[in-house]
Amino acid sequence: MRRTSVRLYRNAMKKYLFSILILPLTLNISTAQEISLKGKELFGNMKARHIGPALMSGRINDLENHPTNARILYAGAAGGGVWKSNDGGATFAPIFDKHAQSIGVVKLDPKNPDQIIWVGTGETWTRNSVSVGNGLYKSTDGGNNWKEIPGFENSERIASIAINPNNTDEVYVGVLGALWSDSEDRGVYKTTDGGKTWNKILYVGPSTGVSDVLMDPNNPNVLFASMWQFRRTAWGFNSGGENSAIYKSTDSGKTWDKLTNNLPTGKLGRIGIAMAPSDSKIIYAVIETGKKETNGLWRSNDSGTSWEHLNNDFGLTVRPFYFSRITVDPKNPDIVVKGGLTGSISRDGGKTFKNLGNMHSDIHDIVFDIKNSDIIYSGTDGGVYRSWDGGSTFEIVENLPLSQFYHISVDDAEPYNVYGGLQDNGSWYGPSSAPGGVAARDWNSVGYGDGFRVLKHPTKNIIYSEMQGAANVWRYDVDRNRTTTVQPQPKKGDPELRFNWNAPMAVSNFVPDRFYMGSQFLHRSDDMGDSWTIISPDLTTNDKTKQDQAKSGGLSVDNSGAEKYTTIFTIAESPLDQNIIWVGTDDGNVQLTTDGGKTWTNLTENLIGIPKNTWVYHIEASVHGKGTAYAVFEGHTTGDMKPYALKTTDYGKTWKSIISEDIDSKAFVRNIQEDYVNEDLLFLGTELGLYVTIDGGKNWSEFTNNMPPVAVHFIELQKRTNDVVMGTHGRGVIIIDDISPLRELSSEILNKEVHFFKTEPFTMTEDSGFSGSFGTETQFVGDNKNTAAQIVYYLKKRHTFGKMEMEIQDMQGNKITSLSPGKSKGINIVSWDFKTTSPKMAQAKTLAFSGFTAPRVPAGKYKVVLTKGSETYSQDIEIKYDEKSITTLEQRKEQEALTKKLYDMVEDLAFMVYEINETQTKATEVMENNPKGKKDSQKLYTALENLRKDLVITTGDNYVASADPELREKMADLYSNVAANFNKVSGASKANYELISEEFSKAKKRYENIMEKEGKKFNSFLEKNNIPKAEIQSKEEFLKKG
Amino acid sequence: MKIIKTLTIALLLTVIAPVTAQTADEIINNYFENTGGKAAWEKLEGVKMSATAQAQGMEIPVEIYQTKDGKQLIKINIQGQDITQLAFDGNTMWTTNFMTLAPEKSDAEATANMKKKTKDFPSPFLNYKDKGFTVELMGKETKEGTETYKIKLTQEPMMVGGVEEPNVSYYYFDTENYAPIVVESEIKQGNNKGQMNVTTMSDYQEVDGLYFPFSLSMAGQGIQLKEIVLNPEIDAAMFAFPATTTDTEKKE
Repeated sequence: MRRTSVRLYRNAMKKYLFSILILPLTLNISTAQEISLKGKELFGNMKARHIGPALMSGRINDLENHPTNARILYAGAAGGGVWKSNDGGATFAPIFDKHAQSIGVVKLDPKNPDQIIWVGTGETWTRNSVSVGNGLYKSTDGGNNWKEIPGFENSERIASIAINPNNTDEVYVGVLGALWSDSEDRGVYKTTDGGKTWNKILYVGPSTGVSDVLMDPNNPNVLFASMWQFRRTAWGFNSGGENSAIYKSTDSGKTWDKLTNNLPTGKLGRIGIAMAPSDSKIIYAVIETGKKETNGLWRSNDSGTSWEHLNNDFGLTVRPFYFSRITVDPKNPDIVVKGGLTGSISRDGGKTFKNLGNMHSDIHDIVFDIKNSDIIYSGTDGGVYRSWDGGSTFEIVENLPLSQFYHISVDDAEPYNVYGGLQDNGSWYGPSSAPGGVAARDWNSVGYGDGFRVLKHPTKNIIYSEMQGAANVWRYDVDRNRTTTVQPQPKKGDPELRFNWNAPMAVSNFVPDRFYMGSQFLHRSDDMGDSWTIISPDLTTNDKTKQDQAKSGGLSVDNSGAEKYTTIFTIAESPLDQNIIWVGTDDGNVQLTTDGGKTWTNLTENLIGIPKNTWVYHIEASVHGKGTAYAVFEGHTTGDMKPYALKTTDYGKTWKSIISEDIDSKAFVRNIQEDYVNEDLLFLGTELGLYVTIDGGKNWSEFTNNMPPVAVHFIELQKRTNDVVMGTHGRGVIIIDDISPLRELSSEILNKEVHFFKTEPFTMTEDSGFSGSFGTETQFVGDNKNTAAQIVYYLKKRHTFGKMEMEIQDMQGNKITSLSPGKSKGINIVSWDFKTTSPKMAQAKTLAFSGFTAPRVPAGKYKVVLTKGSETYSQDIEIKYDEKSITTLEQRKEQEALTKKLYDMVEDLAFMVYEINETQTKATEVMENNPKGKKDSQKLYTALENLRKDLVITTGDNYVASADPELREKMADLYSNVAANFNKVSGASKANYELISEEFSKAKKRYENIMEKEGKKFNSFLEKNNIPKAEIQSKEEFLKKG
Repeated sequence: MKIIKTLTIALLLTVIAPVTAQTADEIINNYFENTGGKAAWEKLEGVKMSATAQAQGMEIPVEIYQTKDGKQLIKINIQGQDITQLAFDGNTMWTTNFMTLAPEKSDAEATANMKKKTKDFPSPFLNYKDKGFTVELMGKETKEGTETYKIKLTQEPMMVGGVEEPNVSYYYFDTENYAPIVVESEIKQGNNKGQMNVTTMSDYQEVDGLYFPFSLSMAGQGIQLKEIVLNPEIDAAMFAFPATTTDTEKKE
């Protein structure tokens, strides 16, 4: 807009001062209509924080070694992005936070592994709850930057990448493809120019994808691909078909042969293949056939020409769609590991296996250290594990916060707790802030199995949690440590109850003991689950063709309950009326009762733009009107990834879409959260991150500040703190603290140069417990909520040229302290810790650490003053004492008064020592230059030095060679004790104050006497000889800070 | 704002040149032109900066010296004591141990890496080709809420824990005025290894014809510059590792 010619710009810069006087006037006229209500800049430096947990981590899809550097290891998470370790797996850091977080495969360029990394997105172990990917990415700078490779936008899942070690521009990509629909994007793709152009070189059909691609590194013309025919629906899974097979090419993919020689034929399921790195003729294949005599592990010793069936143990055949990875030891072709429920290892070339050592179950990938096969890394449903002894014992990597929440809720404790259930990792609750940060030890287990919804009883210290399919619903009495199972059960005459894998629960806003659950019926309990009443007819479509899960799985029956369908999925009791309850089902019904369940209206026909039977993932009953509600729908289980969200204000008679073009066309929606104050402020949880609107859905902006585009499964708005709390499926709990500034945003404010947002009075919290951090060196520790005062303002433009400063003043305009203001365009948040500046300390040989303490300000009103160029903006803020304080106001005033006295005393001493030092310097000068004055100046110097040695430390260091404390150190310790304490001044401190003041009085007296006697003589010598006196700053000047 | 409508701005800025395609070199050249001109930057022999660092209620005076031949000194004043936080005389890099307040030499690797930084004065972009550095325009990105050009700067590799590591940083130049406002570089060791170290820069002001950012924020820690002196008087002894002194003073 104002890009300018370079030559003239410089002149303009020189006239900067002039320009800022004029610019605001002119800009106001011309920009009024230009500000949009969307975009990254809306959020400025408002940032999300991550609190994990990482202690149970989350599902890993793929592990990748560096070919030559054993310290480097990559982990591709099922829902949490790509992580890199530079320290042999001790710690990991995320390197893929701007892109889809569901990862299929990570592959390093064999020639240039430090720079070139390929990432295929979309996890490939196709359980019911998988996330989706959106293509192929390449980094040419070790993961700092990523480029999307065109042509793979619709790949959904990329399983395998093979690179020619002699010519690394030749790359083969195996696309497994869409899980829930046909897709012609499946197949093996080849590039010979590093990814610019691609050819599909093997394609079998729209329902058959690529499971693995292998290349013979000794002869890169030789390729293998395993093809898999599979399909998932919302109500079932089918693995297997005539099209599944192993293919081989000997001409770099020009032609392919389907391998059939002594291999099983007919209907086959998933096939995993692996080549021994030390002998590329040896190929292992694990084949799903559904028949005992052919199921499991096969081996070829002649590059796939002939095969032998070796093993069909449970570990080799269990859930092939979930576990088909084979890894061969880099040095020994007879050491073979296969992923599985526990993982299996063979040391006799695959004939016999034993389980891997104890670790989290469900092992998806294994890699050996490149140099030392005793070291094994394992990717599981619960993170990355390391073994140092060839797989006998395993330890977990503690800093991968990949937890996969299905659902979260919050309570109103201080700090509030977050509750939620995880894929294969039970149910948990933990604090949103904890001393030293939210660490593993802060989380509490409240359920087994797969965890889903976890709800706190509104008034009692009781937690409800559940495991898959409501097989158990627990009511946990936290104080008494007692658990009761309370799930609804069929009674005489009831049909079989159909609970979703992720069965809905809700507590009432009106009746604390009321608890709802949904099967195909809505169940209500008024006694915390002890007894249940069905208060609805079957609210689903009850489509019998979608209820036969016993046959689910295909060749290997897989009736885990995960595919239970035609069930209620969401229950929303109106926060305004307990008789209004909204229900949504997984098969597309929206149902409403306005009389507490006596009668029900099916609103499905009234929906607009929603394909039939699209999963109703969440209904949010609004606080802004009894008839107002939001419903989000997602059709990903039919291959429809489009975002859908509707709003009604008339009890569902009419609906309107609140989705705009701003939202990624594949970001299907699982959740919406309304603001309780501003009806137009909404938060949308999508498969590809969080979106926010401030105008009721006309414009949406993706929130990306420390927020990866991870699948957001559930959002809560904590009412007291206004924190947006997100349960993500791959990056744990992510919080955006206090979103209230977003409530105020309007076109009018966005047009102002500077706008301060209103803030509620801030509490100076007095929490002062301990936070030992023993053993957390390699642990993830979540960020805490900032408890300082938050000064929030909007800048229309990023401040780059000229001065911009911020200070806190008292209401009389006296400076309290200065702060570093944010300069971002958009919202800026600056913290103030309620403190003034620390006192000026007397100079000494060592540091008095107590002197670093800065006193807190008293409660009251303060001014924030922002100076930007020649303009000044100010805002009043208010500060309160902690209501939980154990100190009375009178005691606190006494503490503040004594703090002030001691602060001044510390500075009085500092000034006195300064005067002494300056006088001594002068005396030394005279001693050196004026022999006549030597005697007087020496006397003065020595007298002052003797005094100085009693005032401050003059020897030793800051550690164990320290000298005994002198007056400065004793005084500073007392000052710090009193100033930093939240409680009343103790009797001991008062007594100590008397002692210190007395000592200081004595010292002052000594100083006076010296100056009266030796000082006078010295000064008269100076006068007589026309030597200028020591230059001593005024006290005010000396005490100036900064 | 599609066109600039007012005479005032037209007078100030005179020519509006809507720039479309930009190369990294153009952006860097614009930066130097806008901040004083390449020739003036080339003439710069050294700087002395006086600043205040804000940390937990303390406003700590900081003095920084940098010279064209690679000398560096960062001195802070705490409780009236001058403490050399970092010094480098071109060969020896040293710091002050906070326990003993005595000078200690930095390890060989850090010193070798510091030697390589000699070329960074006054800006690594100044005649970067002669220095053997490469730059690449990565595209535009929103930083600090505003549109920027992202430029990748690759310098000589560093040694970290005995392993050679690439030395790459990313500079974000405001598209409106070509001033760098954010710099990111990868943290190479310690617990935050792999994360980005982010420095933001603002409050650019003129000092004898050259523009410097007077406000820096490094990993959330604010530093406000109060004064910059160009080509200051330099006492070479400041940078040198002091002869070891023993504490002979005894209390009487």
